[in-house]
Amino acid sequence: MKKRFLTLLLATGLSYTGWAQTTFPRNGVFDERLGLYAFTNATIVVDPQTTLRNATLLIRDGRVEAVGANVNLPTGTVVTDLKGKSIYPALIELDSDYGMPEVRREPRNFSAPPQYESNKKGAYYWNQAIQPENDASLLFKANGAKADELRKIGFGVVLTHPHDGIARGSGALVTLADDRENTLVLKPNVTAHYSFSKGSSGQTYPNSMMGSVALLRQALYDADWYKRGGSREQANLSLEAFGRLVGLPTFFEAGDKLGVLRADKIGDEFGVQYIIRGGGDEYQRIDEIKATGAALVIPVNFPQAFDVEDPWDADNVSLAELKHWEMAPMNAARLAGANIPFALTTAGLRDKKDFWANVRKAIESGLSEEKALEALTLAPARLVKADDMVGTLQKGRVANFIITSGNLFSPDVVIYENWIRGKQYVIGNKDAADLRGTWQLTIGDRSNLKLNITGKSVDKLDYQIMADTTKITPKVSVSNDLITMQVPLNRRAGTTRLTGYRTSPTTIKGDGEAPDGKLISWSATRTGDVPASTTATSTTATSPVATTASATVLYPFVGMGNPQKPKAQTMLIKNATVWTNEKDGVMQGADVLVRDGKIAQVGKNLTAPTGANVIDGTGKHLTNGIIDEHSHIALFSINEGGQSSSAEVRMADVIDSEDVNIYRQLAGGVTSSQLLHGSANAIGGQSALVKLKWGESPEGLLIKGADGFIKFALGENVKQANYPNPNVLTRFPQSRMGVEQVYMDHFTRAREYDKAWAAYNKLAAKDKAKATPPHRDIELDALAEILNAKRFITCHSYVQSEINMLLHVADSLGFKVNTFTHILEGYKVADKMAKHGAGGSSFADWWAYKMEVKDAIPYNAALMHRQGITVSINSDDAEMARRLNQEAAKAVEYGGIGEEDAWKMVTLNPAKLLHLDNRLGSIRAGKDADLVLWNANPLAIYARPEKTIIDGTIYFDLQEEDRKHEELQKERARLIQKMLTAKAGGAQTQRPNFRRQRMWHCEDIEGVMAEGEEQEHTETQK
Amino acid sequence: MKQTFLTILAFAALTLAKAQNPAPAKPQERAIALTGATIHVGNGQVIQNGTIVFDKGIITAVGNGDTPTAGAEVISVTGKHIYPGLISPASLVGLQEVSAVRSTVDSREIGVLNPNVRALIAYNTDSEVIPTIRNNGILLTQAMPLGGTVSGCSSIMQTDGWNWEDAVLKKDDGMWLNWPGYFARSFSMEDFSVSLRKNENRSKAIDALQATFADAKAYAAIKNPEPMNLKLEAMRGLFTGAANLYIRADFGKDIIEAVKFAKSFGIPKVVIVGGEEAHRAVDFLKENNVPVILSALHRLPNRQDEDVDLPYRMPGILQKAGVLVALSYSDEWWRSRNLAFLAGTAVGFGLGDREEALKMITSNTARILGIDKQVGTLEKGKHATLFVSKGDALDMRTNVVEHAFIQGRHVNLDDKHKRLYNIYREKYNQPMQGK
Repeated sequence: MKKRFLTLLLATGLSYTGWAQTTFPRNGVFDERLGLYAFTNATIVVDPQTTLRNATLLIRDGRVEAVGANVNLPTGTVVTDLKGKSIYPALIELDSDYGMPEVRREPRNFSAPPQYESNKKGAYYWNQAIQPENDASLLFKANGAKADELRKIGFGVVLTHPHDGIARGSGALVTLADDRENTLVLKPNVTAHYSFSKGSSGQTYPNSMMGSVALLRQALYDADWYKRGGSREQANLSLEAFGRLVGLPTFFEAGDKLGVLRADKIGDEFGVQYIIRGGGDEYQRIDEIKATGAALVIPVNFPQAFDVEDPWDADNVSLAELKHWEMAPMNAARLAGANIPFALTTAGLRDKKDFWANVRKAIESGLSEEKALEALTLAPARLVKADDMVGTLQKGRVANFIITSGNLFSPDVVIYENWIRGKQYVIGNKDAADLRGTWQLTIGDRSNLKLNITGKSVDKLDYQIMADTTKITPKVSVSNDLITMQVPLNRRAGTTRLTGYRTSPTTIKGDGEAPDGKLISWSATRTGDVPASTTATSTTATSPVATTASATVLYPFVGMGNPQKPKAQTMLIKNATVWTNEKDGVMQGADVLVRDGKIAQVGKNLTAPTGANVIDGTGKHLTNGIIDEHSHIALFSINEGGQSSSAEVRMADVIDSEDVNIYRQLAGGVTSSQLLHGSANAIGGQSALVKLKWGESPEGLLIKGADGFIKFALGENVKQANYPNPNVLTRFPQSRMGVEQVYMDHFTRAREYDKAWAAYNKLAAKDKAKATPPHRDIELDALAEILNAKRFITCHSYVQSEINMLLHVADSLGFKVNTFTHILEGYKVADKMAKHGAGGSSFADWWAYKMEVKDAIPYNAALMHRQGITVSINSDDAEMARRLNQEAAKAVEYGGIGEEDAWKMVTLNPAKLLHLDNRLGSIRAGKDADLVLWNANPLAIYARPEKTIIDGTIYFDLQEEDRKHEELQKERARLIQKMLTAKAGGAQTQRPNFRRQRMWHCEDIEGVMAEGEEQEHTETQK
Repeated sequence: MKQTFLTILAFAALTLAKAQNPAPAKPQERAIALTGATIHVGNGQVIQNGTIVFDKGIITAVGNGDTPTAGAEVISVTGKHIYPGLISPASLVGLQEVSAVRSTVDSREIGVLNPNVRALIAYNTDSEVIPTIRNNGILLTQAMPLGGTVSGCSSIMQTDGWNWEDAVLKKDDGMWLNWPGYFARSFSMEDFSVSLRKNENRSKAIDALQATFADAKAYAAIKNPEPMNLKLEAMRGLFTGAANLYIRADFGKDIIEAVKFAKSFGIPKVVIVGGEEAHRAVDFLKENNVPVILSALHRLPNRQDEDVDLPYRMPGILQKAGVLVALSYSDEWWRSRNLAFLAGTAVGFGLGDREEALKMITSNTARILGIDKQVGTLEKGKHATLFVSKGDALDMRTNVVEHAFIQGRHVNLDDKHKRLYNIYREKYNQPMQGK
């Protein structure tokens, strides 16, 4: 009752100012007020750096008129004495969909044909995920309940935008007042908004993260083209709208730390510094985040603790999750420490009421109060270039402020009022009488009663009556000076009901009715403070917060990560059996010197330079690192299958540097991998060539200066032969006949495109200035690169007819197929492949899981090899990649390939196929020091890597494994104890579910597999 | 339309296959002696320069070079290795041919409780896969049904025979139960990850099992029940020990709970299949004398923080704790030819001893499946089900099977892969090399 009364908006109906109403007709009599309010004797935090004591804030017509110690109050000012209270600028929220229409996502329907085209009618972009034309100010409708939620926690202004699509349009800065929209919109079209999520669009494209990136890049190029003359060709409201967004502060919802890096890369391409909405895990990659130069908007939705009482179940919680639970509150402090500008957002909180508790957690974790305030006021104001309007309380600013009981960041602070544009919203009664204390209570003829009133703040009180030794808890409601009590004085008799009022700060009196209906009178007199022992309530049971020092980041942020990124060493490996892959063959008792990440010397009896790490290789074998020509690890998605060609997508956009499979493969001796697009469509995406440098960022994993590669695919996957519901398939092609035409069509267009650009580029400068440049198409760019031998094909292929087909297509259009991958029937056309100069990268012995692998034989590698084809053995499987040495050994078993040649199939040959054999693939002075030290002949089933070295840095060391595991266990144990304490202290917990990361194969298509099919499908996914 | 097309294609392939697989071997006509080989008995014992003699399908003598070979056809295999036929338990070989083609898949019946369903009769001796696994030394498989909670009964098959009657070594050796897991997989459409969540339907599923097993046990006490219940009839053998109860369970709690469930009905022979987390329940398994058929070691660790080599080390961990272990390739039927290499991997990762590893694909498996009186080791009186390898059969480079005998029948080692190899080798004039 009291609550409802208090939260009632006192100001409703008070139209203090005329400026917003002049254009509206009025029913009734004008009621414009002066709008002159002064708040005196307050502690006023004008901005994060400036706090005035005993100061006055004067506002007029919704703006700050004056703030300071000596403010002249004009006649007609409503003066409020705020002695002992504080004023802060109201907070600003930057990630909000306040007042925006609800985004409806249609559930995916797998029994309906796919939607290829946009359902949005009108002259818009072809893809529904691109909606730059959306204008938040046009969509905005105030929502009282939602506004109230944010006002209560101190917000006055939000930047709102529709959270739908990849290009989301422009944002509007609006206040959280309850009023006509006309007075709420402070500034329309203040910002531009982007994300990686296609939102409500049901279109097939894009259906992957790299597709989202590509679509946005293409749309931005299209917008540029439109501006330069494309508008003569077509009217496009979306492309036109992009023009209006130019120059605005641009926000990108990136999701998490790697998303931040990904988004920034797009910004760099288009010369825009995005402001990036992160995920709260940025502390895990702070250096890389800092290097982006981006300002961030970060959430305070810290993860809940897990139920870890059951030690077996608790195993399902990873160390990364445990650590993130501990460290998420430190995120803001660490960003501040690295001088990364940021604003805080309430977005992502399950309940906005948790906001303050979490902000305080961030402060306990090292964030300064000043910085926290800045991140909630001035920083967001600056980011939207509205710091001349909001964010501080200097003269002339919009009068958005909050009145609090004291320091905004203290745990028992009460926000009394939130003023928005000079309009008052009461949240708590700042004038409520402080009833706390011990009172002598008389009810009727019972005069020996004692009433204790306790509580952390004046409006959250606990009441207890002591009748001799009996404790009675009355029900009490207080409304200003009126007090109502229900007292079960005698349980059997019933409840005595009392009403009274305060006659002075220390006396209360009134009357009431006893349970038997008899009228009685009552009174209370304050006798003093409540003794300390009864007031000491549970204030200590706050959830534990780690000190900054005890919590360390791992690189990458998973259990197998390292507290420091490993460093290159000078090392001498002595007296090993060295598989050189050079004309020296396998050298016995040889030494290899590694320096500056390179192989410095290979020979016998080398001397160790001072300080070199000397490794005894006696009885061991030293080889090159394994190179996996066909891998899908460390990727967030695999297929962009929305269209028959997705040449525009880049796997480099979706590298997951935190994938534990990187480490697992290091343990199997793999040092480099081609991360390939999947095989869902005839023309896939651009490969990422990486070294498995565990701990580096996605960018750090990429092999610099490597040639560009692209995945193509043939056969059943491309024609969608094994889809669960073949009846709804409408994507061209559905037969091998159509596949050929996809290539003919795309390359014919690419050739014309290339010609058009060549002609344009040849123009003299002044002609160029006059001409409209050709439309930039990032898909055709990639295909033109193939035609110009600047990008190289790895083609997923099985049966001979289609292999033959692609060779013909390539020959007729004048390009080369660099590698056929899988190539299970390569043995049938090995002569043709050899003639064309194509390589083959195959499985050792896979077959029988679908029709097109029916004729696959384990002798394939041997047959192709003896026809002079460069043959590699690849994995396409995160598990098998861990033992590619064994797969290579099968070439010895099937077909009798010599051991050295078999070994080259997982080292030198894939290096050749990836055009990296000048740096990788053999042990020769000058090449990259990517080495593996084995305990035995690497082709033996009993062999295992003891050290895996990349660029002279040891990334896997068997000797260190036990220590590493011990540390992991220790850290787990520490965090689990902490979580148990947190739970005992009342923290909410969640069940320990465990997420098993998807193991990708090249046929995996997002959106095609449903649960339950998983098991049955595993066999067809290769 | 396309479906039909695929069906026709698949049918055509199978018809061809029938024509192409080599004919099953003829019964052994006279005694054969293999001499000069390293004989891996399968029980840990190795005989250098050994001789093995067998007649009418049965081993008559095993020993060193002095073993008499009189009257026998002597095949000198000097420098080679002789092994007991490898046993591939928990296998789908013969039950499915091309997994993506539904019409070739007979490994899974619909329904929840199918104790009466028998893998035996779907076992296709003409499968093209069979000769390819035989070529790597697998001479026995256990044809196992999938699906439902109780999947049905398995049988032990020899990898040579005209038809299933001919190929079977032991009919209906046990019943297969998919234990309702403590955790169930759930799939997120948001990020396409698979997560394991507490299985909320678990207790209901266990209650249903409880009722079925209670009914079956009571039913088993009746001699000639009327009406006859085929499902309960199929479960009779479980209570007498005539049939194994194979329980698929991976997580520690599931293993313990499942075994306790079986023991509560007095089921004498319980086998855990899968056992990915068997190291958690190692004492329990030992105390209860429950053997484990591990699923393929060639898998990733289950959890991010798990030791990277835990799956590879599992056989060693269990063996050292005294648990009887066999290795399987589970439902990866076409890959099961790599079974020997799983054993090799176990050697490299903690097990150490090659003969111990060999036991896990021969004698241990035979003991678990209840066929150790006939097969699993090379001892007098047992079946002459064995093969000769050029070298160490656990290593890919030397697993080159030169002879294989199943019950003394000298098996034709031709297979589809070799035939295609030879066709194209000849096309390109390449030499014959490798196996």
